[in-house]
Amino acid sequence: MKFTKAFKHALNMVLHSKLRSWLTILGIIIGVAAVISIVAMGEALEQDMTSQLDDLGGDLLTLTAGASSAHSFGQGRMGNFGGSASATDEEIVLDKTDLQALKGVSDIKLMDTQISGRVDIYYVAEKGSVTVTGVDPLTWYQITTSKLKDGRMLGSADSNVIMIGGRVAESFFDKQLGINQLITIEDRLFRIVGILDDQSTSVYMPINLAYEIIDDKEKGVYDKIIIKIKDEEQIDIAMENIEQKLMIARHVTKDKLDFTLSSNQAQNDSRAEMINSLTMFLTAIAAVALLVGAVGIANTMFTSVLEKTKEIGIMKAIGARNNDILIIFLLNAGLIGLIGGILGIIFGTLLSGSLPALMGDTTGIMNRMFSADTIINLKMSVIAVSMSVFIGMGSGAIPAYQASRLKPVDALRYE
Amino acid sequence: MTKDNILLKLENVSKIYKMGEVEVPALKNVSVEIKKGDFVAIIGASGSGKSTMMNLIGCLDTPTSGNIFLKSKNISLLDESDLASHRGKTIGFIFQQYNLIPSISTFDNVLLPLEFQEIDDKKASERVKKILSIVGLSDKMFNLPTQLSGGQQQRVSIARSLVGDPEVILADEPTGALDSVTGKDILRILHKLWKEEGKTIILVTHDLKLAKYAHTTIELKDGEILKTYQNHNEVG
Repeated sequence: MKFTKAFKHALNMVLHSKLRSWLTILGIIIGVAAVISIVAMGEALEQDMTSQLDDLGGDLLTLTAGASSAHSFGQGRMGNFGGSASATDEEIVLDKTDLQALKGVSDIKLMDTQISGRVDIYYVAEKGSVTVTGVDPLTWYQITTSKLKDGRMLGSADSNVIMIGGRVAESFFDKQLGINQLITIEDRLFRIVGILDDQSTSVYMPINLAYEIIDDKEKGVYDKIIIKIKDEEQIDIAMENIEQKLMIARHVTKDKLDFTLSSNQAQNDSRAEMINSLTMFLTAIAAVALLVGAVGIANTMFTSVLEKTKEIGIMKAIGARNNDILIIFLLNAGLIGLIGGILGIIFGTLLSGSLPALMGDTTGIMNRMFSADTIINLKMSVIAVSMSVFIGMGSGAIPAYQASRLKPVDALRYE
Repeated sequence: MTKDNILLKLENVSKIYKMGEVEVPALKNVSVEIKKGDFVAIIGASGSGKSTMMNLIGCLDTPTSGNIFLKSKNISLLDESDLASHRGKTIGFIFQQYNLIPSISTFDNVLLPLEFQEIDDKKASERVKKILSIVGLSDKMFNLPTQLSGGQQQRVSIARSLVGDPEVILADEPTGALDSVTGKDILRILHKLWKEEGKTIILVTHDLKLAKYAHTTIELKDGEILKTYQNHNEVG
């Protein structure tokens, strides 16, 4: 029998056992849709991280007080809330001494000192809580990767002015916020001079003002220092030099570091590793769903062979060879996989697209992730469809073989 | 009658079915020759072995012992795929319950044997239309079997058996599921095929009245040939 004729009969079999075929197809749809949306989510997270890395800048380093988990706390320089570099209190801090030390490192291009904390903000009769970050207005605009959406960046002569994140401007309060509008932070009025092109709920102000607004912050003590290095390619050497300089300034040794210097690259690498593990785990769950779908196909095909035993007998009586029957049933199983695969991709794509809305996040990270038009790509679709057809045919192989080996005289007698 | 005239020959054929531990002989050392262009009725009561004989003649089954020659070729030695090819090209089946594929149209049912023989689409389509017009079903071409009467379904079955232009038409109780008037119509068609087309017709039936349409009658009893005789006044 010609392949096209066998295909016609296989399609006819799918179309004439509607309920059973569609229930089986549904199993494959769920499996493929789960795989597609989870892989898409993984890719989207990866894309988001890559873009965040680009946004954050690969040439930026973050210096914070205290050892990272890799180091133990040592006998480094302690500071107190008085801000003295030589203080002997228990709090490990970053202060002007560190800043002075860093100024001697030739790899550094710019530095921005920052403090941050949660504060209450008021607009008209509404109240909210946001993170205020105090930044050095002289350098921040050159270091930050945040894009300006409206207004201007902070200037060195600014007083009582702030910049706000896109989400604060658009949806934080019932009424949208705009340039030159006034909001109250901790009983002081601030004028909005710039709105950032992001989805953050951050508020930025000159660091001198931030000391007055955020509780428990002592002037001259920083939460972190953002360092922009001259040559991104030489980031490892720059980090080494900075670390050496700080160790001398803070009188600590390598194994007893009391500060943490991290690159955005390293942070993203560890996040990527975590996301990869998560994606692998979810994909494994989706693969189980797909396996259940495959078992469904096998079950349907065994039932189909039983149901069509007499027809197999008739076909054999009128000249069908074993191979003809085998091909018809294999194509039938493959078609179930193919239809399930195609519909699974469509549903998977829709699911990926609607995930942000389903999770109630129409403006946040989920939306950003799934707005990327490359999430469901051609390669993934081809792989998913091929995989579904393969699963279909693989699951249908044994039932199809059984059908092909039926003796016509027995098959014709079957009721 | 020359040796070339023998289309089918059973030589000491036995068929034993195993029912668990018990062996049930269905045919016992049967030898018979069927000539080309003959109209043969195989008759016998239930359990006489006529269905077993039909299955063996129709290449649907293989004998436990003995040889079956179809056009001088020993088909008892062939494997299932070769038997299938032989069946498709040489034998057309007409079953008591019509045995049409219910999910495809009249046209496609008749076309099916030609698809297995990989006949060119255009040629096959023309052949199907011609055969359906011969059996008087040109207007039912795209109906499903379930939309046809019993007699019409049996005519589709006849059309399907004829479409590959086989030398032998093997009819197993072809009127068993039909009323007497429709049954006679079907037998007249078979008779016409024998008389006018020169087909070899093998009719398996328990009904002695139907056997009168045949030229040769083989009577079976308990798996053995009781007698073989010729009817020179067959009904037609």
